Amino acid sequence: MLIACPYCGPRDVAEFTYQGDANRPRPDPASTDLDAWNDYVYQRANPAGPHREYWQHSGGCRSHLLVTRNTLTHEIAGVAFVRSAPVPATKPAPAAPRKRPASRKAKP
Amino acid sequence: MSGRRTETGGRIDRLRTIRFTFDGKAYTGHAGDTLASALLAAGVTLFGRSFKYHRPRGLVAAGVDEPNALVTVLRDGTREPNVPATQVEIFDGLVAESQNRFPSLSFDLGAVNGLGGRFFGAGFYYKTFMGPVIGPLKGTRVWMLCEWFIRRAAGLGRAGRAADPATYERVNAFCDVLVVGSGLAGLVAARAAALEGKRVILAEADATMGGSANWSGERIGGRPADEWAEDTTAELAAMDNVRLLPRTTVWGYYDGNTLAATERVSGHKAQAAKAEPRHRTWTIRAGTVVLATGALERPIVFPGNDRPGVMLAGAAERYANEFGVLPGRRIALFANNDGAYRAAAALAAAGAGIAAIVDVRPAISEGARMLAGMAGGELLLGHAVTGTQGGTALSGISVRRFDAGRPTGEARALPVDCLAVSGGWSPVIHLASQAGQKPVWSDERQAFLPPEPTQNWLGAGAFTGAAITAEALAQGRAAGLKAAGGKADRTKQPEVEAPTLDPAPAPVFEIAVPDGREKAFVDFQHDVTADDVRLARREGFVSVEHMKRYTTLGMATDQGKTSNVPGLAIMAAERGVPIPEVGTTRFRAPYASVSLGSIAAERHGDLRPARLTPMHDWHVEHGAVMQAAGLWFRPQIYGLPGETVEQAYVREARTVRAGAGIVDVSTLGKIAVQGPDAAAFLDRVYTNTFSTLPVGKARYGLMLREDGFVFDDGTTWRLGENDFLMTTTTANAARVMQHLEYFLDVVWPDLRVHLTSVTDEWAGAAVAGPDARKVLERAVTGTAVDDAALPFMGIVRGEVDGAPVMVCRLSFSGELAYEVYCGAGHGTHVWEALVEAGEPFGIVPYGLEALGTLRIEKGHVTGSEIDGRTTARDLHLDGLLSKKKPFIGSAMANREGLADPDRLSLVGVVSLDGRPLNGGAHVTLAQSGPGGLGESIGHLTAVCYSPALQKYVALALLRGGSALHGTRAFVSDPMRGRFGPVEIVSHHFFDPEGSRLHG
Amino acid sequence: MAERESPLVPVYRPGSHGNFAAGAGVRLLETRPGSIVQAAAWPGEERRLAAAIAAVTGLALPEGPGAGAADGRRAAFGFAPGRVLVVDQQDGLAAMLSGAIASDIGTVTDLSHGRTAIRISGDKAEWVLSKLFAIDFAPAAFPSGAGRATLHHDVSALIQRTGERQFDLYVFRSFARSFWTMLCHAAAEVGYEVA
Repeated sequence: MLIACPYCGPRDVAEFTYQGDANRPRPDPASTDLDAWNDYVYQRANPAGPHREYWQHSGGCRSHLLVTRNTLTHEIAGVAFVRSAPVPATKPAPAAPRKRPASRKAKP
Repeated sequence: MSGRRTETGGRIDRLRTIRFTFDGKAYTGHAGDTLASALLAAGVTLFGRSFKYHRPRGLVAAGVDEPNALVTVLRDGTREPNVPATQVEIFDGLVAESQNRFPSLSFDLGAVNGLGGRFFGAGFYYKTFMGPVIGPLKGTRVWMLCEWFIRRAAGLGRAGRAADPATYERVNAFCDVLVVGSGLAGLVAARAAALEGKRVILAEADATMGGSANWSGERIGGRPADEWAEDTTAELAAMDNVRLLPRTTVWGYYDGNTLAATERVSGHKAQAAKAEPRHRTWTIRAGTVVLATGALERPIVFPGNDRPGVMLAGAAERYANEFGVLPGRRIALFANNDGAYRAAAALAAAGAGIAAIVDVRPAISEGARMLAGMAGGELLLGHAVTGTQGGTALSGISVRRFDAGRPTGEARALPVDCLAVSGGWSPVIHLASQAGQKPVWSDERQAFLPPEPTQNWLGAGAFTGAAITAEALAQGRAAGLKAAGGKADRTKQPEVEAPTLDPAPAPVFEIAVPDGREKAFVDFQHDVTADDVRLARREGFVSVEHMKRYTTLGMATDQGKTSNVPGLAIMAAERGVPIPEVGTTRFRAPYASVSLGSIAAERHGDLRPARLTPMHDWHVEHGAVMQAAGLWFRPQIYGLPGETVEQAYVREARTVRAGAGIVDVSTLGKIAVQGPDAAAFLDRVYTNTFSTLPVGKARYGLMLREDGFVFDDGTTWRLGENDFLMTTTTANAARVMQHLEYFLDVVWPDLRVHLTSVTDEWAGAAVAGPDARKVLERAVTGTAVDDAALPFMGIVRGEVDGAPVMVCRLSFSGELAYEVYCGAGHGTHVWEALVEAGEPFGIVPYGLEALGTLRIEKGHVTGSEIDGRTTARDLHLDGLLSKKKPFIGSAMANREGLADPDRLSLVGVVSLDGRPLNGGAHVTLAQSGPGGLGESIGHLTAVCYSPALQKYVALALLRGGSALHGTRAFVSDPMRGRFGPVEIVSHHFFDPEGSRLHG
Repeated sequence: MAERESPLVPVYRPGSHGNFAAGAGVRLLETRPGSIVQAAAWPGEERRLAAAIAAVTGLALPEGPGAGAADGRRAAFGFAPGRVLVVDQQDGLAAMLSGAIASDIGTVTDLSHGRTAIRISGDKAEWVLSKLFAIDFAPAAFPSGAGRATLHHDVSALIQRTGERQFDLYVFRSFARSFWTMLCHAAAEVGYEVA
C-alpha cells in the first residue's frame, strides 16, 4: 500500500504508523462526562468501505495525515495534513450510523 | 556426442563443454543448457519419483511449469531443494540430486506405495486418521504410529541444516513502465515505451530474453525470430532509460502498482563475483505495467499420462529448437489443437522420426495439415491415446478411435519413446489475477483470459489469448505506446513468417477409459488423479475451493500451473455444468518459489540494526556483559573473573550505597520540547504541573494514556523559558514521541510547540552514592556543585575535562546522585573523566542488574510495573494527579473500576526462606505447593537480592495492596517449582524517609 | 575543547573494499561537520525562517517540500513541514541561528552530536542507496540540493543530494555503526572506497 504524503510524496506503508480512527470527536479536556470519554476512547464504527483515519508518516516527515482509505480495497481517496484538516474535537459525529450500547449502566 | 543431442542447431554454445554431476554421476552439457536439457541430451529419462506413489517421472515441461523434475542443488554445503531442473542453468561443478527416492532413483523402495493406490486416494488422511476407531486404536493414535513413515515416504526435497553462506539482498526500483515477460510482445512493448523516453524495466524469468522466439522457428523481419529478438534486446540494452532484468521472476502484484520480483544473480555461475548476492528481491513501483507473461501449455489427462517420455508438445519443440536435444528418436504427438503440429514439424526437421500425430478432432486446418505433411508419420484424426507402456522410459502407446467424447474400437499399439501432448494453452494470468477481478472464461480458446484490471496494467501477447505472433507484436507495440502515454507510432511492424493455424482447441481435457486400471494424472506434483477429482465430487466437494483442498490439486510448489484447468474441466464434466460454473481460484503470490533468504535479505545476523550508546566500546572493554534492551545494548553487569551475575550486581549495588557508582543512562528517551506554548503543552500531557517549574530545575512527571492508565514517567528539565528537555523510559521513547506528536498535530494544532528527538544528542552518566558529590567536585569545572548551587532537582552547566556538560541532581537509586549530560561525541571522554575522578572513592561502573536492585530497594517503578494495566493509584503515584487542571487521561482515570480498592497495587515482598524469588511468580495467601495451588492475589514484578536488606526481595502487584503489609503469604510458581513463605511489606524497602538523597 | 568522537571508529576502515577489481563503484566518507542544526518555523513563518537561514549561511533555499541548497561548506534542506536541517563544516552554527531566528519565527535545535553525517558518491551511489531506501533516487525525482526523510527498517535517515552522483546522509548517532555496516554491505557488490 502506498500513501501519498503531501510533503514527501508517495511512500510505502512501512514508513507510516496507523494512529487510529479519525471520526472520534474528543470531548472537551475538562469534561468529566464518562460516556462521552468512553465513546471517544473505545467506540469504533469499523466500516467495510471508505474510512477516515489518521496515519503518521513516522518514517518520513513525521506529520499526521488524514487518510480516507477503503478498508476493503486499500484504495486511498484522499490524504491531507491533519493540521490543515478540520479538528475532530470541533466536528460533529460521523455521518455513518454507529452502534452504541443502549445503556452502559446495565452492567453489574 | 550422446544419443539425444542433434548434430547441429539450437542456441547452445557447442564449443563450450560444461561438466556437472547428477545423483553422483558425471555428465557434460553445453553453455546455454539447463540441467533438464543437458540430462535429456545424455539420455536420462527418469528425473524424479512422485509425491505419494513414488512413480517414476520424467520431464513434462521445459520451463517454470515443470511439475516432475524437481531437484536439489547442493552448493557450499547447503541444499536448495525443489528446484525444477528446467530452471537450473548448468555450470562447471554443478552438483544436483534427485528427490523423494530411497535408496536410489532407479530402485525406489517407496514405489510399493503405488500398489496401495486405492488406499492413498484423495482424503486419505482425513479418513484414516480422524475416524473415531480403527480396531483397538483411535484414529489419532494411528496417525502417531504412521506419521514418521508417511512423512518420510511422501514429500519433496529436504532443506539443509547448515547456515547458508550466500548473501541475499533487496533493492527498490521505480519506473514509468514495467514490462513483465520478454517474449516478442514484451520486447516490442518495452521498445515502444522506451522510444517515448520513459523509464522502462523489462523483467524476464529466463536467462535469455525473447521467450518463445528462441524456439518457435518462425521468421520475423526476414530473419529467424530468435535473432530478431536478440537484436531488439541489444537495442534496448543500449538505451540508458531501459533496465533489462533477465533471470528475474516477477511473482507478486501489490497495492499501489508495486510488484515484487526475485532476480537470480549468481546462483547460475560457477564462481560468484566477490560480494555478489545469490538472489536479489526487487520491489518495483511502476507507473504502468505491461503484462506479457505468455501462456503455458496444458497436458491431456489419460491413463498412464505420467510415464517418463510423455511431455508437452511445446516443451519437446523447445528442447529440439533451443537446446538441440531430441526428447525421443521415434515420437508420437497427441493433440486437441493445431499447436502440436508445429512441434511435430520442428522435431522432424531436427531429425526425429514422427510415428504418428493423434488428434481427437475429426478435421484440422489447412495449416496443420501442411505441417503434418512436413512432419511425416501417420495422421490419426478422430483418435486418442488411451494408454502408455514402459517402465522408467516410454516404450509405446495405445491409440483408439475417439468418437463423441469417448474412446471406441480396438486399441492399436504404437512403439514410440516419446509422446508429445498438447491440450491447449492457458494464459499466465497469475499477476493479473492478483491485480484484477475474476478471470474470464473463453469458450473459443478453452481458457481463462485475463480479468478486468483493478490496478494500472495492460496486457499483450499470448497472455491475452493472442495465438499468432503478428497479433502478439501488434498488441505489444500498442500496449507499450499506451503505457508510455505516446501517440505517434515510431516503430515499424515487422513481417512475420509463420504457418496459419487455428487457435481454437477442441474442448477435450480427459480421455476417460471405462474400467481403466491405469491412473490418469491431473496434478503430477501432488499425484492427484482424475479419479480423485471424481471422488471429491461424489463426496460432495464440488466447488473449486473444496475440491482443491480435498484433493490438494494445484496446491504443490507449481501451484497447478499445468493442472488447474484440466481439474476444473473434469469436475465440470462430472457435474454437467460449464467450466466457469465450477469457478477458478484467485491466484496468490508468489507466482514461483521465492527463496526465504531473499525476503529476509539484510535483516539478518550482524546486519540487524542495533543502537549503541556513546560509551558502548568502553563498557565492552571493561568487561561488561551486554544485554539487549529493545534495539539498544546496555551493560548488564561488569563481572569480575569468577563472579556470578548475582555476585557481580550485589557488589556493584553495595559499592554504590557505600561510596559511588556510575551508570550509563544515555538510552533514556530525550525529547526537546520547545516553543512559547511548551509549558502549557506539558501541563496537558503530564498529570502534574510543569508551568510552575523554574528555569534550571527538573521535575519528575507522570503521563497517562487517554484511557486513564499510566503510560510513562520521567524527569523533564526546564533549560529555558520556552525550552524543555523531556526524558522518557528507554523502552517507551518512540511511543512517547508519537503520542506527543499526535496531540500536537491532531488535538492541539494551535499550540506553538516543536518536538525533536534528541536522545542521540546527549550522552548521560548517572553518578550515585554518598561520595557522588565529591566525585563531581573533582571532575566538574566552571560551576559549583554544592547544595546551594545544585539543590535536589537543580540543573547547572559546566565542563568536564574541556567538554561542556549539564548536571542535574536527581536520583533513581535513593542515594545522592547526579545525571551528567554531555554531547554524545564527548560521551566516552566525560565518562572516563568521571571514572577517574571517582577512583579515590572506589567508584564502580554498574549495569542494569544493579540499577534494578537499587530501584527495587527504593520501591521505584519501571516498565515491569508500568505494564499498561496499572493506574497511578495502583502504583501509589496518585499524589502526582493534579486536581487543578485537566490532563490526558484525567477523566478516564476516575472511572469506578480504576478506583476499585480491590485492584492489584504495589507492595514489597520479602523471601522468608532465604531463597531467590522469580519474576512473574504468583502470590497466594493460602499455603501453596505442588500438591495444591492457592488462589493467586497477584504476582511479583521485579526481584533481586538486596544487599541493603541482605534478603531476597521483590516488588509485587497484589490485590489489597498496602492493607496487606505485614501479612505472611506464599509464592507459587509451579512452572519453576518454586514455593515458599514470604512477607508482604511496604515497597519502600530501604531508607523510606529519603534521608540519603540529600547526602 | 574536547575532541568529538565518531561512533564509526571501530568499523571505519579507509581503503578499497568489496568487488573493486574494476574500480570502486562508490566512495564512502564520514564528513564530520562541526554543526548539524534543525531550524523549525511556526506555520506561516516558513519564509522568514528561510530568510534567517539565508542571512546566516548565505544559502538561498527554494520554496517547496524538500527544497534545499548546498555550497560545499554549508548545506540546508527541508525534510518536514516547516523544518530545515542546516549543516556547516564549522562549529557554532546553532548559536548563530538562534541569534537570527526569533521565538516568533520558530525554534533552533542543535543536533551536531546526535546525527552522524555520511557521504556516498560515485556512479553507483543511486544503486547502492536503492538497496536501503524505498525512495526514487533518479535525478528527475530527486534533484540536486533537495532533501528527503525516509528510513531503512528502524533507522531514520535524512538524505540530501549534494551533487549529480553524491548524497549526504544524516542518521541517528546510536544507529550509525549499524547503518555504516549495512551501507558497506550494500556497496560491496560494486566495490567501495572509504576515504
